Amino acid sequence: MAELKRFLVRRLLTFIPTLIGVTFIVFVIAAVIPTDPARMWAGGEKANPKVIEQLEKEYHLKGSILERYYFIMYKLFTNQMVSPVTHHYIWDDLAKRFPVTIQLTLIAFIYIVLIGIPLGIIAALKRDTWVDTAVRIFALIGVSTPVFWLAYLLIFLFFTQLGWITLAGTPKPDYSITGVPLIDSILHLDFPMLAQILQRYSLPGFILGFMGIGITARIVRNSFLDAISADFTEFAHARGLKKMRIYKHILRNALVPVITVLGLQFGGLLGGAPITERVFGLPGLGSYMLQAINQFDYLALIGAVFFVSLIYLTANFIVDILYAFIDPRVRY
Amino acid sequence: MKSEHLPIIEVKDLYVNFYTYAGVVKAIDGVSFTIYRGETYCLVGETGCGKSVTAKSLTKLIRPPGRIEKGQVLYYREPGKEPIDLLGLSEEELRRIRGAEISYIFQDPSASLDPLYNIGYQISETMYDHGLISSIKEGFLKAVDILKSVLMPDPETRVKNYPHELSGGMKQRAVIGISLSNNPRLVIADEPTTALDATVQDQIMDLLKKLKKEKNLTVLLITHNMGLVADMCDRVAVMYAGRIVEEADIYELFKNPLHPYTKALLKAVPNPVKKIDKLESIPGTVPNLIYPPPGCRFHPRCQYAMEKCKSERPPEIWVSSTHRVSCWLYS
Repeated sequence: MAELKRFLVRRLLTFIPTLIGVTFIVFVIAAVIPTDPARMWAGGEKANPKVIEQLEKEYHLKGSILERYYFIMYKLFTNQMVSPVTHHYIWDDLAKRFPVTIQLTLIAFIYIVLIGIPLGIIAALKRDTWVDTAVRIFALIGVSTPVFWLAYLLIFLFFTQLGWITLAGTPKPDYSITGVPLIDSILHLDFPMLAQILQRYSLPGFILGFMGIGITARIVRNSFLDAISADFTEFAHARGLKKMRIYKHILRNALVPVITVLGLQFGGLLGGAPITERVFGLPGLGSYMLQAINQFDYLALIGAVFFVSLIYLTANFIVDILYAFIDPRVRY
Repeated sequence: MKSEHLPIIEVKDLYVNFYTYAGVVKAIDGVSFTIYRGETYCLVGETGCGKSVTAKSLTKLIRPPGRIEKGQVLYYREPGKEPIDLLGLSEEELRRIRGAEISYIFQDPSASLDPLYNIGYQISETMYDHGLISSIKEGFLKAVDILKSVLMPDPETRVKNYPHELSGGMKQRAVIGISLSNNPRLVIADEPTTALDATVQDQIMDLLKKLKKEKNLTVLLITHNMGLVADMCDRVAVMYAGRIVEEADIYELFKNPLHPYTKALLKAVPNPVKKIDKLESIPGTVPNLIYPPPGCRFHPRCQYAMEKCKSERPPEIWVSSTHRVSCWLYS
């Protein structure tokens, strides 16, 4: 376990260059766009030159690229960075919007796990039958359907026609343990609250996870078939193991690639959130980023990108830890 | 032969087909043979001639698209008593026999072992599922003894090792340990040394010989290595394209091979009994078993082929009580 600890520390240290790289790239893209940010922030063509001058000074816009980058990162880390557009502290904005996105992502992830994995297993067990074909077609549809189109179709069905879901507000209980209403309401066994949250989030979550369901079903099917036809499975039959035990061997072996994909999916969901949040009017990190781009508020954008990358890295970090428990061949 | 001619397995007229997209592969075409108690019986032949399929058919380990079309595998559980037809048993009844009474050793030990479980666990679960022990934990203690018996170095540590931490030879020892953990009567060793280094091959074969003697096992050895055949076997069946072309006592086969294929095969490999100056290859290639040659399946490559060979399947001819051959030359 000492090896594992050393690995984890080393792995955590790799966060630093990754985060610097990601934010730097975003910053450089924003910096090379031929525009005058201070003028835009101050109100466009007719902006007061005095205000522009003040903004330029305040945000060090005249410095070299590295100087400007250093200034942004320093202010972000010390939580002194105020968005020139919203006039809020950027971290405060992010912290407020984070629960929305994480709830959306969690629900999408639950869909992926609860639908994608069983579909893949069924397809593998019934391989080359109509069941398998149906699952494969569904998976294909899943990866190739534009989410915004599907979103509007389902809004029409579940909101307009059936009225099962809500499309406004973000339910929030008056207590807070983790800061994420979904988890808090479960911990408090507050079912009316939970129902409200699910009414608001279950459809966007499904839309966000839809593509992932297809991808996961495919990967699960293939890795199960690999394990089923592996030599050790044949040997397990040959040594007369009980059926359930053979399935256990198959399951555990098939899980190794599935975990990798699930980890990546989690990150992918965060990246897909802007579109879904936009369509459903959810005030999460995704729509925050879109807003920041529209208003050329690259300071807020860098903050959000930093935040999302951090979650992405953490998800992969957890996958790495899980690996160590599932696969003894993984040594650090 | 110390068998006193008490059979343990009697395969009768076995047919196995594989239903592939390209067509129906007639992999096993009317194979019959008998294995006697206490002997080492060998199936030899080129890759793809159906040795492994035959071995797996014995306990119905054939997976789709393969299917056993007809035939019988009579298993004499107790000497002299009524046999049971393994092909007629239910999956659960077969499971109880597999690994417990008839066990297998496969070709590639790296692939046979589940990479995610340690050796002790895999030995232990094999005993547990056959009711030999009452807990997996108890199995670990027994596993150490089993590893000792297969001459695994440092068994107390190795029992907790995962397959990837062992060398190829050690993995095959572990596989042999698993196979013998339930004290089977018949061990089917399907090319047990093909995936190993030459030096390790010898050690593994020596181990098998020693264990066979100690535990009074019956062994069905499948190989394409004539040296192994000479070293290990009591009786040999030569397979070609899904059929047994010749079966004989080991000395008889090397001294007096009758079938043209056997003769060619013995000329193609270093002969452990007779010295030959130059190795010769067999002209032609192994036939496609979707469209096997009619009559004798060897006739397109046979230098003695007659008209009859092209249309009629040669009968089994017993040239002595221990030697049979399927060839028109001897009718």
